[in-house]
Amino acid sequence: MTRFATGWAIFQGLLIEALPFLLLGVSIAGLARWLVPQSTWIKRLPRHPLLAPIVGALLGFALPACECGNVPVARRLLASGAPLGTGFGFLFAAPVLNPIVLASTWAAFPDQIWLLWGRPIGAFLIAIGLSALLGLLPESSLLASALLEERRLSQPLSRVGLLERRSGLVGVDFNASERRLEQVPLRPAELLQHSTREFLSLLTLLVLGCALAAAVQTWLPRSWLLALGSGPTVSVLALMLLALVVSVCSSVDAFLALGFAAQVTPGALLAFLLLGPVVDLKLAGLFTVLLSTRAIAITAVAASLFVLLIGQWVNLVLM
Amino acid sequence: MARLNRMRQTRYLPPLVLLLWGWVLVWSSVSARLDLLLNAVFHPVVAIAGVVLLVLGAVQLRSAPRLNTSLAPLSWLVSIAVACLVLLFPPSPSFSDLAANRSENLPEAPRLSFFLPPEQRTLTEWVRLLRSQPDPNLYAGDPVRISGFVLQRPGMQPQLARLTVRCCLADATPAGLPIEWPATADPQPDEWLAIEGTMTTQTKDGLLINVVKPSTITTIPRPERPLEP
Repeated sequence: MTRFATGWAIFQGLLIEALPFLLLGVSIAGLARWLVPQSTWIKRLPRHPLLAPIVGALLGFALPACECGNVPVARRLLASGAPLGTGFGFLFAAPVLNPIVLASTWAAFPDQIWLLWGRPIGAFLIAIGLSALLGLLPESSLLASALLEERRLSQPLSRVGLLERRSGLVGVDFNASERRLEQVPLRPAELLQHSTREFLSLLTLLVLGCALAAAVQTWLPRSWLLALGSGPTVSVLALMLLALVVSVCSSVDAFLALGFAAQVTPGALLAFLLLGPVVDLKLAGLFTVLLSTRAIAITAVAASLFVLLIGQWVNLVLM
Repeated sequence: MARLNRMRQTRYLPPLVLLLWGWVLVWSSVSARLDLLLNAVFHPVVAIAGVVLLVLGAVQLRSAPRLNTSLAPLSWLVSIAVACLVLLFPPSPSFSDLAANRSENLPEAPRLSFFLPPEQRTLTEWVRLLRSQPDPNLYAGDPVRISGFVLQRPGMQPQLARLTVRCCLADATPAGLPIEWPATADPQPDEWLAIEGTMTTQTKDGLLINVVKPSTITTIPRPERPLEP
């Protein structure tokens, strides 16, 4: 019973800390939809496999939030027809490449210059790698079905058929109708209603993710993970597992890492700071509004492999 | 079931759920519940988010009759149930349980406090100081005035400890000091104690370590802000 009470408290801590960031993310996604007409900039985003994720990652400087807040914004980008690479670049790298996270990393490790460079570069590499890998899948088996339908409404008919769109009229000049639609501004009440529904749906998924993370934290002794030794590979794996389980927000994870920085290898430290913002238990539910189950599994496995490789390489160079 | 579906169809459900969660955040801030859950840095963020949710909920409640109706997802009901549970059951963690599950690698202090007179140092400040200085003899004889909870680890003497938190309870890290318990003392796990005494040294497993020798031990209620940054 005491264990359960402790788990309940961890759950509340995780949820109440993440909820404001989710609200921030949904608000930014809603405001972007209202203030910036889709056609003006979404269509100008690059589609190049390398350039697209880099531009997406750099968009993170416009959203100083952690990974929970990024999900609704990434969803809005993809639903508005942004190139997949840009959406994924934003989703996977922006939780690291934003001013607050970079500042907190600097505040926690002011004397470890390699980490201040290594974290953003690693986030870029992971975003590029994941975008390239996920880009191999067709959109229909990559994105969550609701997002896919919404996205197809904003894609030109040259790429999406009427049947795939599940809406529209045969014989209508779609370019003209799309132009008309874009010129009609969304009424604030409609925007608020839409954003509320999005926030509440994401909130339920966040609740489930926090419950999962709190349960694992309560019943899996964390000291086991940190006691796994200082071997170059084992320590990286242990810290990756810790990042997965702890699920703390990317804006403060550097301070947490500071606590065990002296006990682990440099590669393990970087692995902790790279994997958490991309994959953790708290995000498990939230990702289902973006990606199919198969794509989530591929993301989790591939991100872990990329991080393991980066961690190993850093250990090879610095140890 | 029909009642459930009617509830899901009402135009008032989304603003009411927003109001409920807004109230959860505002109530958590007002009732000092956050002191038990999060680092103080996040308290204003939570309060602001709560107020924003309340305002958004109220605005939508006023315009609800004009909104389109669509069936609310069943999952929202889960979120309503969880919000009610959060309001009904405040957190009551076992600090010993939390600490027993964690490593003891303390985060760095947010501010330097080594220049404080010994009797003004908190338990966490003592632990940080002792870990940063290799010679335990430097502090032998210093007066100690600390408070914390009793941390009982398997196979070890009970310590007096505090939890440090950077983000939320999920990253709580224990800071514990060994105590030379008098024969009459019977420290119970999770019990909060205030100890006045002296810092001494003892040899344990061939190593010289600092141990607090209490002159008075008083049972105290859990402090309002039990977590330290």
